[in-house]
Amino acid sequence: MQDQWLTVNQELTLRQRRLLTLGSFLLPLAIWCMLSYVPFIWHPMVEVEDKGSVSYFKESMLVEKELFYQELEKAQGEERAVPTGTPANPIYLPAPHEVIEALYSAFTTEPIRRNEQWLHESLADSISVILLGFLLSSLIGVPLGILAGTFSAVSRLTEPFIEFFRYLPAPAFGALAVAILGIHEAPKIAIIFIGTFFQQVLVVANTTRKLDPALLEAAMTLGAKRISMLFRVVIPGIASDLYRDMRILLGWAWTYLIVAEMIGSSSGITWFITQQARYKNFDNVFAAILIIGVIGLTTDMILAQLGKRLFPWQRGTKV
Amino acid sequence: MSKIKRIWSSMIAAALMAISTQSIAEPLKIGYSDWPGWVAWEVAIEKQWFKEAGVEVEFEWFDYVASMDAFAAGQLDAVTMTNGDALVTGSTGAKNVMILINDYSNGNDMVVAKPGINSVKDLKGKKVGVEIGFVGHLLLLNALEKNGMKESDVELVNVPTNETPQVLASGDVDAIVAWQPNSGMALNLVPGSKRIYSSADEPGLIYDVLAVSPQSLAADRDKWKKVIKVWYRIVDYFKDPKTQNSAIAIMASRVGLTPDEYKEFIGGTKILTKTEAKQFFKKTDGFTSLYGSSKISDDFNIANKVYGKAQNIDDYIDGSLY
Repeated sequence: MQDQWLTVNQELTLRQRRLLTLGSFLLPLAIWCMLSYVPFIWHPMVEVEDKGSVSYFKESMLVEKELFYQELEKAQGEERAVPTGTPANPIYLPAPHEVIEALYSAFTTEPIRRNEQWLHESLADSISVILLGFLLSSLIGVPLGILAGTFSAVSRLTEPFIEFFRYLPAPAFGALAVAILGIHEAPKIAIIFIGTFFQQVLVVANTTRKLDPALLEAAMTLGAKRISMLFRVVIPGIASDLYRDMRILLGWAWTYLIVAEMIGSSSGITWFITQQARYKNFDNVFAAILIIGVIGLTTDMILAQLGKRLFPWQRGTKV
Repeated sequence: MSKIKRIWSSMIAAALMAISTQSIAEPLKIGYSDWPGWVAWEVAIEKQWFKEAGVEVEFEWFDYVASMDAFAAGQLDAVTMTNGDALVTGSTGAKNVMILINDYSNGNDMVVAKPGINSVKDLKGKKVGVEIGFVGHLLLLNALEKNGMKESDVELVNVPTNETPQVLASGDVDAIVAWQPNSGMALNLVPGSKRIYSSADEPGLIYDVLAVSPQSLAADRDKWKKVIKVWYRIVDYFKDPKTQNSAIAIMASRVGLTPDEYKEFIGGTKILTKTEAKQFFKKTDGFTSLYGSSKISDDFNIANKVYGKAQNIDDYIDGSLY
């Protein structure tokens, strides 16, 4: 049977879905490859090989194409030695193979100094900052959110203030966090916490409110007390939605990582990115960004699979 | 697991420290950042010379501005800064005393102009990208003054120093003021651009120092003397042609460059021997003294409303630990 690709409102076959998923990654990669390896598509610069008679050119210097040909013609006109060069992209767009090389060498470069870390150790630091921030936030945020979603009184008492606070940008608390918590992991965890917590309470409260009222009425009719309502009806009722919220919120916490790690002493993957960017080693910068993307995506996929196991009745819908 | 424990224990330790007044001997906490004269501390850290000298120190690596923030928040006993920024930090509450001169900038800070502009005089009526109120601004005013010009002769565009290379390349300004590695990046990024003025034209405009909090200096004077001793062991190691490459390799690895790449940044930083540094601690006017140079920075900071009240320079300098 011929696969139908563009039928309105119809789910694709497994094979089609897999192909498209692959395609969604291959497409940007293909564009990147074309820009990098096919000289006439973009390559607005020229990398100087031999400076010829142009005094200010240097070997392996990047020069704008227009300027390069101006100097070339000038040299030709005056019958001086002509510069030579090859088309190149600007320094901020390294080619895919350069990024792959950077990725490999970043992990295999042995620390030179005694107090230096392997890249995977810096990454572990970053991940621990995120997880601790997220864990602390969840320990308080989830119970508070459920209570606010269940009891109007809790909602009225907490949510207006939280609504206000969530508009305050977490990075603005950087200097304060350093002053109170020191310069190491604690202020970084605090920033992740501030960035996650307030959204978390509101999201969880909303999810709780969306629980089917019929369930609550039935439980009340059957004589459930407040506590057993909470633990035997509300929490089991929202568990699968709550799980999905947490997945989204964890992604949220990741976006605060770079900002959080800028605070206090330099550490983690952010140190690597900012330092390499400062010296314009963009292949390393791309490699590091790629690592973060892969870690984020992998975690999310594992959590999604886990969700299917935990909440098998949700399999039809998107967990 | 051990990580979580460490964080909790550090939190508890911080809380306890806040409660108890001055308990057991803590290591000296020093914040340092990416400037060749300060990266050189790495040599002693790597070779464990502080241990040998019998002084416990903890070096914390920061971005430059973040290091001054952490010092101002009372999280550090000392921080590496320029003498001008020491005054700025002090004026806003974090008093500090400069006890050691690492180096003076000898060309790493520069005014870079696009092709066609060959001297400071050519800047008349042109746009200059500079981080207003900071050390680059000071360098620019110094360049203008030396050429008989005033600030109003050029149009200033406020640009963060690390973005100056791109701004010069965009063509929106005619010149920028920056220090390494940004100044070198600008020269590479804009073919034909030229360095028309640099800190090498006015040595002593920018000193790079170790500034200590007055409390720590009073409590641990002897320890700081040992720190200064270790510094001159570093200087000897760095200046000795036999060991210089090893020093540069350690420094390069701190900032994530290869030794060859890092060598470019060494020349523009004049690391001072003990005898040379002592000379600059003498109290005279002008750029050949830390006092004179700081006075000029102070005047500059007031003229540009970086802070309102003149600082007492004598409070900021203590050369007696040498």
